[in-house]
Order: sequence, then structure tokens, then C-alpha cells
Amino acid sequence: MDTSTLTMFLHGLQVAVQPENLLAVAIGAIVGTAIGVLPGVGPVSAVALLVPLSFGLSPTTALIMMAGVYYGAMYGGSTTSILLNAPGESASVVTCIDGHKLALKGRGGSALGVAAIGSFIAGTLGVIVLMLLAPPLSRMAIAFQPPEYFALMILALVAATTMGEGKLVKALISMSIGLCIGTVGQDIQTGTIRYTFGVSELLDGIDFLVAALGLFALSEVIWETVEPNALVTRINVKSPYPTLQDLKESMGAMLRGSGIGIFFGLLPGAGLITSPFVSYSVEKQLSKHPEEFGQGALKGVAGPESANNGAASAGFVPLLTLGLPGSSTMALLLGIFMMWGVQPGPLLISQNPEMFWGLVASMYVGNVMLLILNLPMVPLFAKIIDIPKPLLLPLIFVFSFIGVFAVNNSTLDLWLVLGFGVLGFFMRIYDFPAGPLVMSIVLGPLMERAMRQALTMSNGDPLIFVERPVAVGVLVVAVLFLIIPLLRRGNKDNSEIMA
Amino acid sequence: MRLKKYGLIALLLVVTMVLAAGCGGEKKEAASGESKAPTKPITIIAPNGAGSGWDLTARSVAQVLTEKKFVTVPMPVENRAGGGGVVALSHMVENLKGNDQNLIVYSPPLLLVNLNGQTKYSYKDLTPIARLFSDYELFGVYKDSKFHSLDEVMDALKKDPKSVKIGGASAPGSMDHLAFMMAASKKGVNIKEVPYISFQSGGELTAALLGGSIDVISTSVGDTLGQLEAGNVRALAVTSPERLKDPRVANVPTLKEVGIDETFEVWRGIFGPPNMPEGTKKYLTEAIEKMAKSDEWLAICKKYSWVPTYQPGDQFGKYLDDQNKLMGDLLRGMNLIK
Repeated sequence: MDTSTLTMFLHGLQVAVQPENLLAVAIGAIVGTAIGVLPGVGPVSAVALLVPLSFGLSPTTALIMMAGVYYGAMYGGSTTSILLNAPGESASVVTCIDGHKLALKGRGGSALGVAAIGSFIAGTLGVIVLMLLAPPLSRMAIAFQPPEYFALMILALVAATTMGEGKLVKALISMSIGLCIGTVGQDIQTGTIRYTFGVSELLDGIDFLVAALGLFALSEVIWETVEPNALVTRINVKSPYPTLQDLKESMGAMLRGSGIGIFFGLLPGAGLITSPFVSYSVEKQLSKHPEEFGQGALKGVAGPESANNGAASAGFVPLLTLGLPGSSTMALLLGIFMMWGVQPGPLLISQNPEMFWGLVASMYVGNVMLLILNLPMVPLFAKIIDIPKPLLLPLIFVFSFIGVFAVNNSTLDLWLVLGFGVLGFFMRIYDFPAGPLVMSIVLGPLMERAMRQALTMSNGDPLIFVERPVAVGVLVVAVLFLIIPLLRRGNKDNSEIMA
Repeated sequence: MRLKKYGLIALLLVVTMVLAAGCGGEKKEAASGESKAPTKPITIIAPNGAGSGWDLTARSVAQVLTEKKFVTVPMPVENRAGGGGVVALSHMVENLKGNDQNLIVYSPPLLLVNLNGQTKYSYKDLTPIARLFSDYELFGVYKDSKFHSLDEVMDALKKDPKSVKIGGASAPGSMDHLAFMMAASKKGVNIKEVPYISFQSGGELTAALLGGSIDVISTSVGDTLGQLEAGNVRALAVTSPERLKDPRVANVPTLKEVGIDETFEVWRGIFGPPNMPEGTKKYLTEAIEKMAKSDEWLAICKKYSWVPTYQPGDQFGKYLDDQNKLMGDLLRGMNLIK
């Protein structure tokens, strides 16, 4: 196996460095980064736009390009989160929290640099896992069935409360509102229509992006507009690049984030969304200074950014071995496979070795290319935050609207994003964290679906959630996540009293 | 004098405009029976996201029609996702009445969303242009399953309807669910009691089967090919009228062969908006007929394992009436609607 893997990989590398494939990786990476940088315009629309272009290419080249767009967008996605507080997809919501604070302190360059390097490390490690362990690891995806997914969603929700910056009750309130919003739309198991008031645009529920751009980006715009000094304050951009100290400090977080991301990425559908939260939660609990989280902790960027890229790469394992797409972009990639008559599944690697190994090798090349492409841009991007506010704020406003409209071509979404902007503004005044709300809009429906599938499996017996070892294990971790911060706070209070 | 003349012309203009507006596009083209070539681009709407089955159909149709010059204007594809096709249907009926620049692709959910009460609009509001091709459903079990034939599954369900868990990749009351329950009801199973678990995609469904969460899958043939070939899934039956030609499923018996005299067809068709102008309708019907017979189209069908079942608009309309009745009866039998 070992020597043959190496031979196959070298063969794949030969495929990947053919001029047309190198060009395909480059186009994919550049388009992906550009898309990632524009708030709201996500990888799905990019891949969809490029599909007609790929008709003229060989299947391998087309796939290499599409995959490049996919992980390129993951790279670029952090940029707007850090600089403009405008997440483009669920995977980069967590990055907003500390990343934007860092940018406001003039350390945007550090944050961007750490995000790019973390993404590179995680992406590369993810590809290595894909290369060496794809077939055995696909069994893990199967070990996670509806009851386990339900437990996993509970874990993610618990992790999301750690974004509350110590205000647990307010974070829980925020989360409950998000869960309520998540019930809007057509019920997945019975088709019953809930809270749509006869508006057909609401049948699929409220898109996560609408809430995220409203609560983060637009509320920021409103906030800055009413803040008397904000318009004239200029941010002193300190370092265009992360310092050696920054890298040393965040290396551990990057590696842990990569590991977490790769692990969760193997679970289709859950990895991209849950892994950044879990990583954030872990970093906060390992940190000697948990109070820095939420105020601009570099580790709070390095961990989650590595995690989402690790998950993006590892997500190719269930896609290629089981035909299980983990996100809508992946579903589109799956569609492209089918278009070429290639059936992703257990036999893909042996039947289409050229395609599989070419793709794997191109992902190495692509990761290096993205790092080279992104690092020189960091100082340039970091300057965006220095654009005079009267110019920058309307720009964010316009881009948020474009991003929201691009998702469903729905004018209703434009009103909704405005509504969420106002809601976010008031939440800020009263000090409620927006992160848990946004995340529970994404997690709520997933959790509900898993729960109802599991209960149908057990003919309604709720014991199914505690009878299965994996599900119990995940639930125990969730409980630990909830208890550890309370214990630590208790200890700290004690030691302060002692001192 | 001059002023008066202009005044009269202006008045005439206004009157014509009011009259034209009053007629409201519906009778814009009096030339009935004449096929009328379009001069502006014709948009094909895919009522779902990029990469979905509807999207793939729309893009393939546009590709063959324009490349072979059956239609000489550009044919962009627009994705209008939402509510299992309801959003696009509302858009067609409410905003595009009498329009000659739009087509839309649909499959059985067009009937089901109306029957299930998710929208007041139905296939009757659209102008059927053609049925393009059909897909069929496959029932399968895990390779180590104790069931070796559909009969064994049905016998177990007859003894205890809750003993076998059925999974599908579409919502309850949609195709995958209906196909299996149709077969089960023919065998005398109490289908109101049989648990059905819905998953979001064919991939998720197969993972659930391999992981033991469900016992039997009912899903489109295409979703299962990879696992069938790898030997992880054992096929019990397909719902097509005769055996499928794809070598990977050519040995799977039809429902008729296992003693259930039924077929279940997942058709894909193309429609125009309500009151589509006759001339445009005729032109597009002819163009799509040419397309359906072209080698390029047949090659695409072969690639995706689509079974070409072309039918022109008027026959397609009658077929839809029959299907609508059939689906309605099934849903009532399952107690899903009243």
C-alpha cells in the first residue's frame, strides 16, 4: 500500500503539473479568493458560473479548477470577516468575533496573516489525510447516524455559547431567538408550513447569510454612524504582517484547529459549521487568558480559521468515497462528477485513479499557490480598514445588499437583512452577543432533522440518544464544555479572594 | 390647425395604448397556428439551485437547443430556488402570464406541492411544452440484510408494519416515499403505519443504510449506482415498465416481475408560463421535438442514465391529468392528505 500510494501520488503530481492543470488550479484559486473576499458572494455561485466553462475541459482539469474555487473561497472568506465584520459563509462567522476586534486595534495584518498561514497548514494536513487514509476513514462517516448528529449539534450549540464573552445567560437568550427563527419554513419531516404567513419566499426558511450580514455587517454600519467620534477616528495600522511572536503564539492553536477541523470534516454536513466553534471553545478553555477572547485574541482567529480549512479538505473524503457532499458547493462538485459519468463511491479511487490522484496532488499545489497569492495581499487588504469611514460604510452597506440578493434573487431578503441590522444594533446596545443567534439559525434545523430522524428510527423512544456509545460520548463532551468555564470561574474567584 | 392635428394624433395614440393595455398581452399575436421565431433571449428557469437535477436538465436542454441551432436566440438558465419549486411556480403564474421569453423545467413535485397543499397553483396553470425523459426508482437493502427479495420485505411489513424502516432522499409525501408505498399497498401492507425516514440527499441516504439506521432504501436509480457497483447495496426491484439498459442495473427485476403490476415514473418536463402566445408555443414545441430526436440529446440521456420518453405538449397534458389523479389517490391512501 505504502509504495503504491507513493507511486500513485507521483503519478498524480505529473497530472497536476501539466500546464493546463496548473492553469486550472491558478484560475480556481484566484477566482475562489476573489469570491471569498466579496462579502456574500459565495463559492456556490462561483462554481455554478464556471460550470459551462468546464464543458470544454477534460474532466480532471475541470474538477481541479472547481476544487480550487472551493478551497480558495475558504481562504478568502476570512478577509471580509476580519476587516468588515461581514462573514460570507457560516464557516467564517467565528472569525468575525476576534478577527474584527484585532483589525480595529490596528492588528488586521496579524489576523489576516495568521488566518492565511493557519489555512495553509490545515489545508495541507487535510490533503495528507485524504491521500493516506481516505478509504478507512470513510467508515467514520458511517458511524455517525442521526442520533450521533443530534448529539453533535448539541455540542456545537454549547460551543456557540462560548462566543458570549462570559455572558452565558445573554448568550442563551440570543441562541433561543435564533432557534425560533430557525423553525420558519416548511417542516422537513411532514411538509407542514410554519410561520411563513403565506409568503412563498419563506418556505425554505430564513437564509443564514441574511441574518449574518444584517447582525454583523449592517449593525456595525449603523453603530458607527451613530457613534459621534467613529467617523473621524482613524485606525493606526500597526503591522502589515504577523510578527514572529504572533506566529509562535498561535502555532498551537493552528495545529489543534487543523486536527479538530479534519476530524469534523470527515462527518459530512456537520464539519464546516461545527468545527470552527469547537476550535474556538477549545482555545478559550485552554488559554491562560480566556478574558482576551472576544476582545481580539489571535488564537481565536488562528484556531477556527485552521479548523474550517481542515474541514474543507477533509470533506473530500466522504465526497469521494461515499458520494456524500458536506455542503452545497460540494453537492455541486458531485454534480460535476456525475456530468462526466464518474460515480463517486467506494470504487472511485480504483476506477479513476488519474482523476483522484490528480485532484489530490493539485490540492497540494493549490494550497501553496494560495499562500503565495494571499500573503503579499495582506498589507494591501489590511489598508481597507483605513479607508475613511464616510466612504467605507456605504460600501459595506451596498456589498451586503448585493451579497444577500445574490443568494435567492429575493427582494424580501433585502428587507430582512435591514431588519436584522436594526436588531443587531439594539442587541449591541444591550450587550447581547449576535454569534449564538446566527449559529442557531444554521444549527437549529439540522438538529431538529437529526432528532426527528432518530426518533422515527426508534419508533418514538428518546432513549436512542443515550443507548449508543458514540452519541453518549459526544454529549459528555458537550457537558464538559458547559461545566469547565463555570469551574474555572469558581477557582478564579476563590484565588482572588485568597489573594 | 397644426396643433389640433397633433392633438388628434396624440389622442389616437393614447386610445391605442389603452386598448393594447386592456388586451393585456393575452391576444398580442393574432396569428394562430403559425410558428413564430423569438427575437429576444428565452430564459429557462430551474426551480432549484445550481447542480440540482432540475438545473442539470435545464442546462442540457439549453445546450443542445442552442448548439444545434434549433433555437437561434441565446438561452440562459436562471436558478430560482425555494420551497421545492413553489417559489418559481408562483413567479411563473403571478409575474409571467402571457410571456413568450420564459420556460421552466419540472418533475412530479409540481403535482405534489399542489396536492399537499403547499401552493394553490398547479400544473394546470402552466403551458405544457413537452415531456423530456424519465427516471425510475430503485428499492434496495444493505448487502448483509436478511431480506433477499421484495416479497420478503413485504411479508415482514404485513406481519408488523413498524418492523422495517424505509428511507428515501425526498420529503415524506414526495416521490421516494410514494413509490415504495404504492408497491406496498398493492401487496396489502397497512401503509399508514410504515415508518418513513427522509434524508436530504442520495449520499446521506446510502450512509444511513450502510450504518444500519434504515433497512430499505427507495430512491432514484442514479443515487445508488456507485454503491451497487461496489457491492454494498443489493437491489430488489426497479419501478420501470421494463428492465433498464444501464449494465449496472440491467439484472434488477421490475416490479411487474416480482408480482406487483405497477410502474412509478419520475418524469421531467418543460413548461411555458400561463397563456403562452400560440406562435411561440408552436415554435418551441417544434424545436424541442427536433432536439429530443437529435443524437446529441440521446447521448446526454445515455450519460446520465435518463430514459428518453419524449411526448409533445398536448399528450403530456393528458398524461399529467392521469398522474395527478394517481398521486392524489396514493396520498389519500397514506392518510397524508384528506
